[in-house]
Amino acid sequence: MDIGFSSAETHFREQCRDWLKDNIPTGKRPLDASDAIGFDKAWQRRLFDAGWAGINWPTEYGGRGLSIVQQVIWLEEYAKAHAPWIGANFVGINHGGPTLILNASEEQKAFHLPRILKGESIWCQGFSEPGAGSDLAGITTRGRIDGDELIINGSKIWTSFAHVADWQELVLRTEEGSKRHAGLSWVICDMHAPGITVRPIRKMSGQTEFAEVFYDDVRVPLDNVVGGLGNGWKVAMSTLSFERGTGFIADQVKLGQEIAELVSKARASGMIEDDRIADQLAQMRAEVAALRAMTYRNISEVVRTGQPGPEASVIRLFAAELGQRIERMALHLMGEEILDFAYGDDDAVHDYLRGFAATIAGGTAQIQRDIIGERLLGLPKSR
Amino acid sequence: MDLTPDNDQIALQTATSDWCRTNMPLADARSRRSGLWDELESMGWVGMTAPGMDLDHPTEALIFAELGRFLAPVALLSSAVAARWTGSGGKVGLAVPGKDIIRVLDGDSAPRALGLFAAATGFIKNDPVCQTKPSLDLSTSVVHLKADAPVDPITDPRAALHLQLLAAAFSVGCADAARDMAADYAQLRQQFGRPIGWFQALKHICSDMAVRAAVARSQLYYAACTLDAGEADAAFHVAAAKRLADQAALDNGRANIQVHGGTGMTDEAVPHLCLKRAHLLQFIAPVEDRILLADIP
Repeated sequence: MDIGFSSAETHFREQCRDWLKDNIPTGKRPLDASDAIGFDKAWQRRLFDAGWAGINWPTEYGGRGLSIVQQVIWLEEYAKAHAPWIGANFVGINHGGPTLILNASEEQKAFHLPRILKGESIWCQGFSEPGAGSDLAGITTRGRIDGDELIINGSKIWTSFAHVADWQELVLRTEEGSKRHAGLSWVICDMHAPGITVRPIRKMSGQTEFAEVFYDDVRVPLDNVVGGLGNGWKVAMSTLSFERGTGFIADQVKLGQEIAELVSKARASGMIEDDRIADQLAQMRAEVAALRAMTYRNISEVVRTGQPGPEASVIRLFAAELGQRIERMALHLMGEEILDFAYGDDDAVHDYLRGFAATIAGGTAQIQRDIIGERLLGLPKSR
Repeated sequence: MDLTPDNDQIALQTATSDWCRTNMPLADARSRRSGLWDELESMGWVGMTAPGMDLDHPTEALIFAELGRFLAPVALLSSAVAARWTGSGGKVGLAVPGKDIIRVLDGDSAPRALGLFAAATGFIKNDPVCQTKPSLDLSTSVVHLKADAPVDPITDPRAALHLQLLAAAFSVGCADAARDMAADYAQLRQQFGRPIGWFQALKHICSDMAVRAAVARSQLYYAACTLDAGEADAAFHVAAAKRLADQAALDNGRANIQVHGGTGMTDEAVPHLCLKRAHLLQFIAPVEDRILLADIP
């Protein structure tokens, strides 16, 4: 075991750092998706033009074809440089794109992947439904086959960036009368198609970032099915481990920065003299260090065996709850100043309110605990 | 960068746990047989950290986590530190400095004990002022020494971090043991016509045990690497490892008893052995907040 990087990797790190230093946008990223879309697309294009988009994506689709370790180094330097969140490109870059790489046809990959990397297509995710949250296999949105098309009816909810998206990774029931995980398909849905209505939903932090999506006889070509009809569950699950692999690198660096800021703030205000505060800050610092160690361990596992270890599912839960603890501490250190919060403010109160998503979106903390208990410890399935 | 054990390390890890399972089962930690220490010595678990053996810290941490999983004698910690920094062989008791007295744990037939004293990390003469008594952790005895016993210091400042790292490894092993015991029981024990591990209220207790153990083990590996690399932030990372490992051991120790229900409260069952060991380890090279709050160089 060692925590050093090779000289080539260190050189790569310097290149990342140098470019970021000179190229980070000076303006702040707007909070609402519809205001941020121009910013997000322009920034993604600059990343692509300079060769920083899709570092470990295949070269034939516009990526750099480099190693996962180099991707990790880029993400670390990106966060260290306080570069803006990739925002509306998040789903395409971190989820839709990787799913296409693993499951899509050559035509699908050749069309979509370069557009995702260039920031030309914005993607959103259509998984959750009003009646299918934690119980995702309860999906009822359906697609009836009509010639070489699917005719889609139903609705999706909590769809981030739906109102600014061009494409959607849509999981729906394509086999009439099918139950649970069977009979589902993963399709690429054109968000500009007739019959789609998007109703944006405001979050309690004031942001309008996600939406409900309604499908009324929406026609999607059967060619847009990825991984074959009826294989939707398998395709959707194929990227979960990818998400767990490098998905938390930036968070880990950001949490480190946040806790460092909190420590200096508590020192400046004298609040650090309170033993309970000092003890909690010390604890969170140890935990942020452990999050990095756990992420490195997971990446090492990917390098060694080609896939993340079973403990990868732990990272997501731990990172989410640690982030919330840090957000609560930031709020505590602000004192009654939090009462001045208004929608549109981009401060610790905003982060705290927005941070509730961490233990809900993409599988609640309770579902994560089920997964850990069942897959890691071999306990019987409760569902 | 690689934070996974290589094949040689995995082989050593497996050999250690195989030996422990047969020769030093956890359930016997309530009263270790008298010849055990000599066997540990002859198997090489005692002298393996001596300078000539060139054992790196990650490998040490892996082996000590396995030993810790079986609640191995705590004098292994002090003896390993003594061997690495002074080349001395044989058994060295584990000294815990208190306010008015020094306690020596697992010091039977050891002429000296090692601990982190206010003045220095070092040895004291194991010279009991009273008879050997049983301790909270049933695997060890305790004797009381006068607080002013003269300390023979170890000059290398890394000795203190080494003890903290190995004690963290013991805690990681202890946390693992409690987690596995709870998960096994939750699959076996039936109530309402199902294994209790089916119920989310119980399952999630076990999942949290797995999270704590995974977090602590990851930081243990990282800390061991910083110590080998002579990194300036080694003190921070070893302290973080110890803090998280101690918490994992204690919280898992408690949770394991809860999962076991009525049986868990008894002397006859084994969960309390992990809990009591976890309490002991809190006092070995404890972590101060100021180390975790210091600026990282």
